[in-house]
Order: sequence, then C-alpha cells, then structure tokens
Amino acid sequence: MYHYLEEELEQLKMKIIKMGSLVEEQIANSFKALFEGNNELALTVMRRDDEVDKYDIKIDKHCQRIFALTQPVAFDLRLIMSALMINNDLERMGDIAVNISEQAEPLNDYTDLLRKMRLEDMTVKIKKIVKSSIDCFVNSDSELAKSVILMDDEIDKLDRELFYRITDEMKSNPDLIVPCAHLLALTSNIERLADHATNIAEDVIFLIDAKIIKHSKDPNNLKLKE
Amino acid sequence: MYYGSNHALKNISLDIDADRITALIGPSGCGKSTFLRTLNRLNDTIDNVTIEGNVEIDGVNIYEKGTDVVSLRKKVGMIFQKSNPFPKSIFENIAYGPKINGMNKKKDLEELVEISCRRAAIWDEVKDRLNESATGLSGGQQQRVCIARALAVDPEILLMDEPASALDPIATAKIEELMFELKNNLTIVIVTHNMQQAARVSDKCAFFFNGEIVEYSNTSKMFTRPENEKTQNYISGRFG
Repeated sequence: MYHYLEEELEQLKMKIIKMGSLVEEQIANSFKALFEGNNELALTVMRRDDEVDKYDIKIDKHCQRIFALTQPVAFDLRLIMSALMINNDLERMGDIAVNISEQAEPLNDYTDLLRKMRLEDMTVKIKKIVKSSIDCFVNSDSELAKSVILMDDEIDKLDRELFYRITDEMKSNPDLIVPCAHLLALTSNIERLADHATNIAEDVIFLIDAKIIKHSKDPNNLKLKE
Repeated sequence: MYYGSNHALKNISLDIDADRITALIGPSGCGKSTFLRTLNRLNDTIDNVTIEGNVEIDGVNIYEKGTDVVSLRKKVGMIFQKSNPFPKSIFENIAYGPKINGMNKKKDLEELVEISCRRAAIWDEVKDRLNESATGLSGGQQQRVCIARALAVDPEILLMDEPASALDPIATAKIEELMFELKNNLTIVIVTHNMQQAARVSDKCAFFFNGEIVEYSNTSKMFTRPENEKTQNYISGRFG
C-alpha cells in the first residue's frame, strides 16, 4: 500500500512542480511582452493559460483520488492539503499573468513611461519571489519559505513607492492619465503575485514544520536560522 | 515485563485518562496486547511471566500482594478479537457474571440484562430472542452480547483487543458508535491494527514499537503532527 501512496505523492509533487514552472514562465513572458510591447508574446501567454487550468483540474482530481483511496495522515496529509492550496495559488498567478498580458497592448506606446516609473525594479523582485516560492516547495525548504514571506514586505514597499510615482506623474502630466491608470491596475496585479507567492511559502511551512502561520502577526514565526 | 528472558515491555509509563478512549497502536509483536493484558493481570495466567513496576487504578497498585484478581477483572472488563459467547442463551450469557456475584432474583436479573443490552446497543435486536443461543447470532451481534456481558458486572474500565477486526464495516461502525456512547462513563483502552479506527474513535493514542512507547499524545496531534519519524512512518503505512 505504501509504495502506491509514495508513487501517488511523487506524481502529485511532479505535477505541482511542472505547473509551477509553467506559471513562472507565463509570468516572465507577460513581463517581457509588457516591456517589449510584444503583443504576439502577450497573446501566447493568454493562450497558454488553458494549460495552467488543465494542471489545476488534474491536481484537484489527483488529490481527490489520493484522499479517497489512501486516507493519508500526518506528513502525507499535509502534502496533499498543501498541494491543493498551492495549486489554487498557482492557478490564480496564471490568471494574473493573463491580466498583465492584456495590459501590454494599451501600454504598447508607453515603454518610456514604464522605464520612468521603474516598474522593472518591482518585476525583477516579483520573478525572484515567485521562483523562490516554487523552489521552497521543490526542495522542502522552510527556511527559504520564511525568506519569501519576509521578501513580500519589500515588495509592498516598492508597490507603495510606485503608486506615488504614478499618481505624481498623473498630477504633473494630465496627458498620461489613461496610461497611468492602466499602470495602476497593472501594479496592483503584479503586487498580487507576491501575495500568492507568500501563500505558497506559508503552505510549505505548514507542510514541513506542521505550523499554520497564515494571518500570523508573530515575527518569531518567521525568524530565520542563523 | 518479561516472557522468560524475553524483555517484552520496557520502560512503559503512561497515564490513561478516565472516561476517554485510549488506542494502542503498533506493528505485530510490539507489545500492545501484552500491555493491555497487564491492566487486568491477564498475563498472570501465562507461565514464566515476570512483571516489574506498578499499574495503578484509582491510585491502587493492582500488582500489590493480596490483590483480589477476580474483583479486579470485574472492575476491568475485557473484549477479545474473536467474540466468545458461552454456549448458552443470550440471557444466560449476560446474567452469568451478576449471578456468580450473588444476584439471584429473576426480576433483578431481567432488569440488568435489559440495561446491559441497551448500553451495548443490542437490545432491539435480541429482546425477543433472549432464550435463544448466543452462538446463533451474527459475529457483530455476538461481539455486542460479549460487551453487554462485560457491562453487566459494571466495570470502570473496558479493555478491547481488536474488537472489530473480524467484523464487516457495518458491524464495525456499530461497535465504534457504541464505544462513543460508553465513554461517557467508562474508560476504554483499545488495541487496534486499523489506523483509521484508531484515528476515528480514540482521544489519545500510544504508538508501541519493540516493547516501548515511541509516542503518546492526543490522537488528533498524532495523526496530523507526529513528533517521531517512526510514528509518521507507521501511521502512514510505510512499515508494520
């Protein structure tokens, strides 16, 4: 029986890893499409969201099958619960990549504005936090997961700075109100990616350390090992 | 506890909560049934057994010299894996204990048999056939008659050694529901190989391995956040 369960869990983990790498690629391509004004690439991202959705369904079904057939407990139970929650976050991240790609076309002619607002500072960090969140699941690394959660604070700070830069630009340059409004919607989407990455990191801590830390305000929960 | 020179139970120390269900789990030969039998001195009947240490019930060491083993076993009843009704009527099975304890009035016995059968959730199934042989009942019914028989002498503690392992899922569910009812005023210690059953019915759980207790904790904790890797591996079916 346990060989069957081990095999099922390994396959489930592989599905999450594959979905994670697909979502990571979707996010990177949506940023590329945005900065390069590449509408073709933006369309590719939108089309490939179907693949992400298929993984979402596959993982849900797989978890359901393992629950029904093996009645998992302890670490195995936490792995399946984490897989379900991470799947949900990855699917939402895939949707956000689509939203970002949809913003690429209206901002095609404003690549200078994107540079001026230093949006790339944020997207670089977002790519890093997304990659780290998936890595901490792949490597069962709860220390990396804690650092992901701490990284989110930096991103929130960047998001606030970006908000003020954009609204200042709107005040001083009313001709740019429309693209700036698109930009505000865009940054809000981008910031949400970090929130989902943080959720994944919290799920990894639940998986490895058996601690529920979501909504926790206790900084000790996140203290990194020296 | 030793069987000859074989050290079967080592360094066992645990507090069993009153009016709760405590499950003993572990692979075959780990000592859980042996431990269960120390709680009503059933190991005394086996040759070459040596026991060191105390088992205290209500603060009294049951291994103290002069302990009345018959009254101990009245206080600590036992249900075995295979139902073992006497080859007598259902009524006689249940009335047997009270009778040898001196209850002779027919009315008192009838009342006690009914109460015991009701407590064992078997009354509705046997009330019209109390004079029929208990061995003619189904396995699940026989097991509940045995529980009624144990309850008839009003024990404080009920030891159950894999009480449902030979039963189908419906009969098993009835035994489990019954255990929930009984724990309101009875302490139950159950040995089970069925992890789902241990998870479903018990409040606390002790994991035995090689004659020692590896982990003893609230069942919900053991099945979600076990402390010991051996426990994790056993409860998830990786060995045993």
